[in-house]
Amino acid sequence: MLVNQTIMQHQARPEVCAPVLEVEHLTVGVPGVGAIINDLNLTIRRGEVVALVGESGSGKSMTARSLMRLMPSGISILNGSVRVCGDEVLSLSEEKFNEFRGARISMLFQQPHVMLDPTCTVGAQAAEALHVHRHLSAVEEHERVLQLFRDVGIPEPEERMKCYPHQMSGGMAQRVMIAAALSAEPDLLIADEPTTALDVTVQAQILQLLDRKRRESDLSILLITHDLSVVSAIADRVAVMYSGEIVEQGTTQEILRNPKHPYTQSLIHCALLEADETGQLYAIPGNPPELLSKVEGCRFRSRCQVAEKWGHPEICSRLAPPMVEHGGPGCCARCWIGAPNDMQVQAIKICQSDEEGHRDDC
Amino acid sequence: MWIFILRRLAVLALALLVVSFLVFLIPYVGETDPVRALARARFGRLDLDAAAIEALRIELGMHRPLLVQYLDWLGNAVIGDFGNSYMSREPVIEQVWSALKVSIVLTLAALGFAFAVAVPCGSIAALRQGSAFDSIIKSLNQAFVAVPEYWLAPMSILVFALYLGWLPSAGWRGPESVILPALALSLRPMGYFTQVMRASMIDVLNSPHIVAAHSRGLSIRRTLIAHGLRNAMLPVITLFSVWMAGLLGGAVVIEVIFAVPGMGRLVYSAIVNGDLPVLQAGLVAIVTFAVLINTLTDLAYTVLNPVVRFNNAAA
Ligand SMILES: Nc1ncnc2c1ncn2[C@@H]1O[C@H](COP(=O)(O)OP(=O)(O)O)[C@@H](O)[C@H]1O
Ligand code: SF4
Ligand SMILES: [Mg+2]
Repeated sequence: MLVNQTIMQHQARPEVCAPVLEVEHLTVGVPGVGAIINDLNLTIRRGEVVALVGESGSGKSMTARSLMRLMPSGISILNGSVRVCGDEVLSLSEEKFNEFRGARISMLFQQPHVMLDPTCTVGAQAAEALHVHRHLSAVEEHERVLQLFRDVGIPEPEERMKCYPHQMSGGMAQRVMIAAALSAEPDLLIADEPTTALDVTVQAQILQLLDRKRRESDLSILLITHDLSVVSAIADRVAVMYSGEIVEQGTTQEILRNPKHPYTQSLIHCALLEADETGQLYAIPGNPPELLSKVEGCRFRSRCQVAEKWGHPEICSRLAPPMVEHGGPGCCARCWIGAPNDMQVQAIKICQSDEEGHRDDC
Repeated sequence: MWIFILRRLAVLALALLVVSFLVFLIPYVGETDPVRALARARFGRLDLDAAAIEALRIELGMHRPLLVQYLDWLGNAVIGDFGNSYMSREPVIEQVWSALKVSIVLTLAALGFAFAVAVPCGSIAALRQGSAFDSIIKSLNQAFVAVPEYWLAPMSILVFALYLGWLPSAGWRGPESVILPALALSLRPMGYFTQVMRASMIDVLNSPHIVAAHSRGLSIRRTLIAHGLRNAMLPVITLFSVWMAGLLGGAVVIEVIFAVPGMGRLVYSAIVNGDLPVLQAGLVAIVTFAVLINTLTDLAYTVLNPVVRFNNAAA
């Protein structure tokens, strides 16, 4: 026990502390059918806000729920590893992992109203994580929730604690969810589009609140959003998701100013045009492939306009692009265009030999 | 809240008024002249001459307009006077009251038992969908729902009363005489309650707030108890009240076979004997109770479900 404590204290020093979240090769899907999330790699350090962006249906929520091990029935984690502060969590029993949920990793959801039990006061629900993880007396628990409510900006917290969810606005309900999620002081908060369902003014307040909590308590946040203005406001790094894969990662500046992946480029292009209010929204033509389906080559190929102009679009259709590092630390993109020369040459050879093989067949 | 209750009471009164009129009409809708029917029941003779019948009609006040008769009848009914039974010559209200008490005990025992079994069994079956337990519960439910009472009741008498000798076979003396008829009566509602509990628990388990509670680190069991049960029980409570109203006067087969002096048997024999006052009072009592139970269920719903509570309070 003593030994453990010394180790923990030792690890708590920032320079040696393991990242709050390390995801490696995470693959999630329907066993025997296919993958929904494919080979996902993601690292979040202490106090860092990482944004996960992408079109709706790209698997962002599924990623969030997989990290909480709360996938819908029928879907399971097929491969990979998830470490929270260095501890592998995928191999833990459900019971053991419950000690992580709400205590070390918490989650916020898109629609705060439906995430609250209509038959139960919000005060009682906000106290639950405290109740199961920190065994406080009833009075202490009440005091702590009161303090949390005050902290997240709920007016008249004492009265509000006795309210039922339907008596609250969406913004207030989300504040309750934030209080509940942060009550046991987790290391990581996974926020799945926490402001999408709220009014614009309330959106900004909620984001400010999250940003403040991050600075105050060194909270790490995985912020799922499809709003690039939110990203530029509070994210340190960005991961771009397309059809169940992360196609590009990097610092917010790098991604927004100098995106490498054609999909990211289109996303930003869309957002900029939208901001300019040109009347007609620019949308990327076509639809992403079904998440569960297998695709030969690059999953973005059918919609990629850059590939056409590039010299070797046949590679894109034939071989899955590698994740290639470039520029700053942790910056990478999954595209053939940025791949090193020798890899491209090799790929071209494979395609050519394919073609010859084809000719021989005829 | 009080406005809600008052409004429910107004609805109750209105419903009773309508029903009482229909019940009042019963003697007049048949093919036989009600005066003649009464004479037959009272004197046991069919061959009364027309003059005697008319005399009786005037004596009973049945020559007056229908509406006047109805108001007269209603005025008496309100103070509990439904006349005397044609058969026993005793005041009807006493018979009905004692039968009603018996039926309430029997129905509550049966449905309470069904509910107490259905809630845990349905919940566990929902939690372990597709497991052996789930399949067993499912087959039992189907059996319970399908078994006819006229088979079940004699069989249970045969086994528990005659063969094992544990319980009295029939009659209504003391608590142990409640057990067999209540058990026999409980199986069908138990089957339905369990099915509904299972389905509604599956619904609740898939609802987002359960995922959210789980994300706070509550174990599945704890999530279920804290956030599942209350929500999942609501449809079963509705069903409970429907069955309560139905069984109060509708447990005829069980009451007849087990010789339980309840409402079902009372109304049944009133029909067989042409004992119109008993029939009328019995029907009014059953309907009054059904509406009353309905109101109580709404109140229970209100207590369990704050959304309804606040809507009601606002109304
Ligand atoms: N139970 C399921 N079985 C199979 N596929 C599912 C299931 N649930 C979700 N999906 C897939 O996941 C996708 C939804 O991904 P999601 O994570 O909600 O996207 P996002 O949050 O980025 O909008 C759907 O398009 C669907 O293809
Ligand atoms: S690999 Fe080819 S198809 Fe895929 S994004 Fe890059 S250029 Fe486009
Ligand atoms: Mg989503």
